[in-house]
Amino acid sequence: MTSWDEKVGGEPADYGNAVLSANGSYTILPEPVKTFLCNFEAAIRNRNVYDIIQCYEAQFPKLTERFFAKYNWPATQVVTEIVSRSLGGKEPDQLFVILYTEMYYKHIYAHIAGGPSFEDREASYFNYCDFFNFVLGTDTPVTHELPYQLLWDIIDEFIYQFQNFTQYRAKLKNKKDEEISTLRDSVTTWNIHSVLNVLHSLVEKSCINEQLRELASGGDISAVAGEFGERQLYKMLGFFSLIGLCRLHCILGDFFQALKVLENIDVSRLDLYCNVPTCNITTSYYVGFSFMMMRRYEDAIRTLNDALAYHNRVKSSLAGRPDVADYVAKQTDQMCHLLCLCLSLHPMRVDEIVHAQIKEKYNEKNLKLSRMDLDEIANTFQYACPKFLSPVPPNFDLPENYQMNPMRQIKEEFISEIKQQARIPDIRSYLKLYTTLSIEKLAGLMNTEPQVLHRELMCYKHKMQNIVTADAAAAAAAEAPTASSSELDFYIDGDMIHVADTKVARKFGELFIRNILKLEDVNRALTRLDQFIYGVAAGEAGPQAGSARS
Amino acid sequence: KYIELQVTENVYDCEANLAVLKLYQFNPSHYQTNVTIKILLKAIANLPHPDFSLCKYLIEPDKLREEPLSSVVALGNQLETCDFEEFWQSLASTKSSIPAIGSVVGFTDSVRKFICHVVGISYQKIKTDQLCRILDIKRDQLAVYLEEYGWKLVPDDPSHVFVFNYEETIKTRNISEKIGFPQVKQLAPVLQNAASDCHKRAK
Repeated sequence: MTSWDEKVGGEPADYGNAVLSANGSYTILPEPVKTFLCNFEAAIRNRNVYDIIQCYEAQFPKLTERFFAKYNWPATQVVTEIVSRSLGGKEPDQLFVILYTEMYYKHIYAHIAGGPSFEDREASYFNYCDFFNFVLGTDTPVTHELPYQLLWDIIDEFIYQFQNFTQYRAKLKNKKDEEISTLRDSVTTWNIHSVLNVLHSLVEKSCINEQLRELASGGDISAVAGEFGERQLYKMLGFFSLIGLCRLHCILGDFFQALKVLENIDVSRLDLYCNVPTCNITTSYYVGFSFMMMRRYEDAIRTLNDALAYHNRVKSSLAGRPDVADYVAKQTDQMCHLLCLCLSLHPMRVDEIVHAQIKEKYNEKNLKLSRMDLDEIANTFQYACPKFLSPVPPNFDLPENYQMNPMRQIKEEFISEIKQQARIPDIRSYLKLYTTLSIEKLAGLMNTEPQVLHRELMCYKHKMQNIVTADAAAAAAAEAPTASSSELDFYIDGDMIHVADTKVARKFGELFIRNILKLEDVNRALTRLDQFIYGVAAGEAGPQAGSARS
Repeated sequence: KYIELQVTENVYDCEANLAVLKLYQFNPSHYQTNVTIKILLKAIANLPHPDFSLCKYLIEPDKLREEPLSSVVALGNQLETCDFEEFWQSLASTKSSIPAIGSVVGFTDSVRKFICHVVGISYQKIKTDQLCRILDIKRDQLAVYLEEYGWKLVPDDPSHVFVFNYEETIKTRNISEKIGFPQVKQLAPVLQNAASDCHKRAK
């Protein structure tokens, strides 16, 4: 890990070209970096959101790629010095210092080999505390304005670093004794309670839940927003904190609460609330996953389907941001896996394009999943699930690697749930072939006793009943509306099974219309081309003919 | 204490129960087996909701595998797979070893309610014997349940109970395509051109 501190701090302002020394660190700060830092500080100080976006989304990644692909950015004290000198001795804006430090550590997590050390993690945590104190610790709201992408990234990274730290803390096997004793003593760093506290405070301060309820019922938001909630900064921080809470509950294994915190948000229309693609995709992922774990397969499929369609639409706009591209690609892939899993448990119609995508990439996997290949299911689940956490510190006296335990626990439960549904696809495939079928015949086909078959048919019906309401509170009520939306339905009349299948005729109309219009376009283009060519030819022939004549 | 209240008063608050389990997750030193058993039993009584699964996700697997939780989990699993006859047998045998089961007021009633729900969605007509067996009741107690759910004994055939007329609701559907006028409207200019071309050529 190389850094600037020793070389640059305290030297006179001479920012010539960068010179790479023998050990791979810059001896003088490159000019573009210095300009960037000053511009960024000015943008934040002047509340110029457009400039902040430019610095944050465009220039920072470019400079990282160009100069800091393997090294740290300069330390905060150095940067503060430089900017202060350029301002003629004044202190740079406090928010700028905090934000820069946040970006500094984010860079270490993302790009530096070996990852952050314990000191880095701790320092980063305290920096987040500074940020939240800056925003929440005052009686009157701060007047800064920040772009939504930046706000989302802060919350997202905050939870990510917490997750990362908890995993790091649980991997005790190869740690040295001093490391273990430091971990044991540092009870406050990245404490789950503090993390939850921060998110809850943001939600409360911005009165975001009240605002969302008003929005949903068509009322006046400003009446309930409160002093802090009126400002965009707080409102969006509150909104993103709700999503952060959803994610946190999900990785702790409490799927009910994960869905409950989002009860005022219409997850299918996330783009109404904010236009941050990474936020929308992440939300859909966690919501879809929670639905699946709660056996609400229809809702899960719908959410994942919408998310994948949305991703197709915004793919091009994300292309300009290489730093998030990997992350988004991985999450989208995980969502595809989840969708395959849900569809094998509960076949349903999905969007044409998404369906084609899945078929193309995962055909073999789908075959195995539909045959209830438990290994395949376990692998798919493991790939697609989030990194689960345990909220308590591990047993420091027994140095083992504990970080996989929560994941294993949830996976085991999920697999036992699947095992209970193991016979359902077989039953479904047999039922698809008949309109009426006697219990005895089906029992014979499936090699079971009629008694057992009665039980399995009831189990099929029970498992396929989904709760179809978006309202989490209503869902928990005793009389929640349920429906079996499986396309294949049946009822048992004494000893006969009557099967009802929904046949959807292939849609030709749209295809024909699309192609007719296309053909018309092609025809028009050809006619224009025709005229152009003959026009030119006539023009050429003209002078020639003229010269021949003359 | 709230759990005790739920148990004796036969009410149910899913969120509160999950919160207690979460408390145990965050503070393993506070864990109490008795309370957990009662929470699991209440969750089972709330089937068909997935509360039972949700609870299991929040409890450590080691605790789930050992007694007394493992018997309770087994009961839950039997109900989830609709293995009702096994369930009544297991219940009888574990009732003595786990006093908590007896203390949950209305447990067996809730379970019977769930079983009737499953029967209601699966059957149009079911054998009376079978029904009594899975509900673990005698023939003479059947009348009460028939009354409650509006089921009737088939008039000519007392060996069957008529549950619900599904013939109307569950039928094969053929969803054929309907091409609406707005879609065809898009084609109007194209068709117009084509028509006028044809006219020109015909002349």
